[in-house]
Amino acid sequence: MKSHVKRQARGSRALFFSATVVGGVLTLSIFAFMVILGLPLFSTHSLTLLLTQKWAPDQGLYGIFSFICGTCAVVSLSLLVAFPLSLGNAILIHLIAPRRLARFLHQVVKMMTGIPTVIYGFVGIFFLVPLVREWFSRGSGMSILSAALLLALLISPTMILVFLESFAAIPVSHIRALEALGGTRRQKLVHVILPGARTGIMTGLLLASGRALGDTMIALMVAGNATAQPESLLDSVRTLTAHIALVMAADFDSIEFKTIFACGIILYLWTAILTLSLRHLHFNSTKPSHDQSF
Amino acid sequence: MTRVFDFLLYIFAWISGLILVGACGTFMVFLLTQGLPALSFDLIFGSTGMWDALLLKRVVSDGLLPAIVGTFLLVFLVLLTALPFGLGAGIYLAEYAGKRSKSFFSLIFDLLAGVPSIVIGLFGFSLTIFLHKHFTFLTPCLLISALALALLVLPYLIRSTQMALEELPTSLRLTAAALGADQATTIRFVLLPQAAAGIFSGIILAIGRAAEDTAVIMLTGVVVSAGIPRSLFNSYEALPFYIYYMASQFSDQQELQQGFGAALILLAICGLLFTLAWLIRKKITARLLYHH
Amino acid sequence: MFWTILKKEIATLKCSVLLVLLIFFTLFNSPVWAEPMADFIGQAGVLRISGGTAHIPVMKEVAKLIMQANPDIQISIAGGGSGAGIKQVGEGLVDIGNSGRRPTDNEIKKYGLGLNRWAFDGVGVIVNRDNRVQALTRAQLQDIFSGRLTNWQDVGGLDKEIAVFTRDEGSGTRKVFWKKALAKKVITNKALVVVSNGAMKAGVSHNPYAIGYVSVGYLDKSVAAVALDGVKPSLETVQKGEYTVVRGLYSNTKGTAAKGDREGLTKSFIDFLFSPTGREIISRKGLIPASR
Repeated sequence: MKSHVKRQARGSRALFFSATVVGGVLTLSIFAFMVILGLPLFSTHSLTLLLTQKWAPDQGLYGIFSFICGTCAVVSLSLLVAFPLSLGNAILIHLIAPRRLARFLHQVVKMMTGIPTVIYGFVGIFFLVPLVREWFSRGSGMSILSAALLLALLISPTMILVFLESFAAIPVSHIRALEALGGTRRQKLVHVILPGARTGIMTGLLLASGRALGDTMIALMVAGNATAQPESLLDSVRTLTAHIALVMAADFDSIEFKTIFACGIILYLWTAILTLSLRHLHFNSTKPSHDQSF
Repeated sequence: MTRVFDFLLYIFAWISGLILVGACGTFMVFLLTQGLPALSFDLIFGSTGMWDALLLKRVVSDGLLPAIVGTFLLVFLVLLTALPFGLGAGIYLAEYAGKRSKSFFSLIFDLLAGVPSIVIGLFGFSLTIFLHKHFTFLTPCLLISALALALLVLPYLIRSTQMALEELPTSLRLTAAALGADQATTIRFVLLPQAAAGIFSGIILAIGRAAEDTAVIMLTGVVVSAGIPRSLFNSYEALPFYIYYMASQFSDQQELQQGFGAALILLAICGLLFTLAWLIRKKITARLLYHH
Repeated sequence: MFWTILKKEIATLKCSVLLVLLIFFTLFNSPVWAEPMADFIGQAGVLRISGGTAHIPVMKEVAKLIMQANPDIQISIAGGGSGAGIKQVGEGLVDIGNSGRRPTDNEIKKYGLGLNRWAFDGVGVIVNRDNRVQALTRAQLQDIFSGRLTNWQDVGGLDKEIAVFTRDEGSGTRKVFWKKALAKKVITNKALVVVSNGAMKAGVSHNPYAIGYVSVGYLDKSVAAVALDGVKPSLETVQKGEYTVVRGLYSNTKGTAAKGDREGLTKSFIDFLFSPTGREIISRKGLIPASR
């Protein structure tokens, strides 16, 4: 009887363990697959060529450097827009707005996390792109700027929620102490809240950049997918993710097709570095890692 | 001086708020004004009569029905495949894992959570091509998409299960142990029911993620036109892909309208799921308060 | 073990939400169809089509007719471009791989393809409806696409930057245009890249300063066709041989057409394209039907 129970206990443990291992193995095999399928590319095209040449399959050039630049441009501009926007909103909700308005704003932000990315892209094409084209009367409107603005809208809610969470985690006693000393709002913010929420702010930035980096649809739909090296914010670019989506349809024995595994590897490593930095950031704190969902 | 700073801070915060709410509002108003007129019976069933369509008697070739059904089938299959692994791994990490294996596997699943969806789609596609050489019947299809999406939502399921279990008060475990329950029994009859709401809200978020993702499915079997799939090995249509397709290649005003209609329907589905998750989460918070 | 469960779910899948309704209304009669559909009577199964996007309007229309006449047949249509179509049919991922160019001899030999050219089509240059410039010389066109001319003023238009649209490298339309209209001159890498004829038309129709190229079958009043060296691309000029950027539209199958070793559904589908009804649909979609 007792051994039966024990066996059962051991059995369920084994079951749970194997579920975990399957998940782990799959995660690692994604990377392994990219490397194995990308290897033939590296035997004919050295890494340096791949990273320096331009993209012109008609002329036998298969460089993906401009896509890396495009990704960097779109991601960093979106962060540049989203960071102050998110910080401002977090401050507004936490510190300034009247209670009921703050609650309302908080709800709106939470709701925004649920908007499908393809819908951002859809509205972007028909609303934002024509606006950008007419305002700057240059280029096609399908540009770094359009994609970055939409991405900023996509990642801001995540950032705001993380900021708010870290603001809320600051011990009330610190704030009370400052209030007792007659501190102003600014003093509260600059001397207590911002320093206390430093980790949280970094976390928000890292999570948001991962989200912007990994998004495919917005860039694919509104960035224009040109293969040239971008020179201005109104230039059209192709991101690494969009390149995968575009070349996907190509003949899958061609060199074009193999370059998308190189893009896959770069994206995998890039997000891995972000994840590791996040972990490093939280290494000493006992807090569980932040929920990245919605 | 201080007052000036305070004032600037005030202005900055309010402007940020206005921009965000304004952007979100414009977004919604634009979508609603363009999409609402498109919402109709014909949008979903096209020229095929409703009964004929629902009975699979006649094929809907100019309505949204196949895409809507495709999305629901997809979500259903994703849950079916991801749930056992998500729950299992979540329970293992929360209840069984030692310190080192816990930290190792959490890292792995954090990595998985960060992997861009298009990379997961590419993985699914290349795996299919690879397997196709041995099993010729296997082509990009509903099953492959569901499996790839399952991988995408797995970390959400694992984390929400793990956190829901870890948040339970220690007293619960102690009481169960004092009553002589072994670990498996405790998990099955005490901890899981208590953590159910938390797990459930994680599941709903995972559903939302599976319903809205476009990058994974566009690489693994979704097509422009397929009708309602009859088997797991068929191609299928799905709402998000339909929206993407219509956005970039509508051929006339009517198709564009259908695109807006589809966007509204998808938004409504995601909004509904989101509200559900929020209500459940609210319920847990209330219960946790009650416990303390 | 998990997989067996999954397979069992296939059955449950079919009878998901719709089952209840199905039970009540199984007595509807399917309509009797005229002679052209006779070939499909008694056939069942799935036909997968992918590749060239110039083909899609015809494919969709034909598929709709067939599926409505016989609900047991399911036809899925995906885009992807000519390169993808040839490759996928070659590898057996689809039953029919469409291409907007003749597959190369290498491709034909490697995969043992059967070519079925069922229509002729021109590739026409398009600009936005509001663009004053509606005629170009070949030299001007080449300069615009190579990026040497960047302002509409240079060719008699407004002082606005030209937005050049092109297709991805897998496109047959691009290959034909590049060879026959651009004389293999370089296409600027600043060009915006779209993935289908539909996307090209939608993109150009929404951008007042755009220029691009599409299958003549896609021309309509949403965009303006540009006369090339004095000849407007249209069904008539292509037919008369005046417009020279012309190509065939192919539906490729695995196995030679001559030997007739295509399988039932695939064969019936291809035969239908050459039937009077098929030819009528092809003309209606703005293409020139070809005989076998």
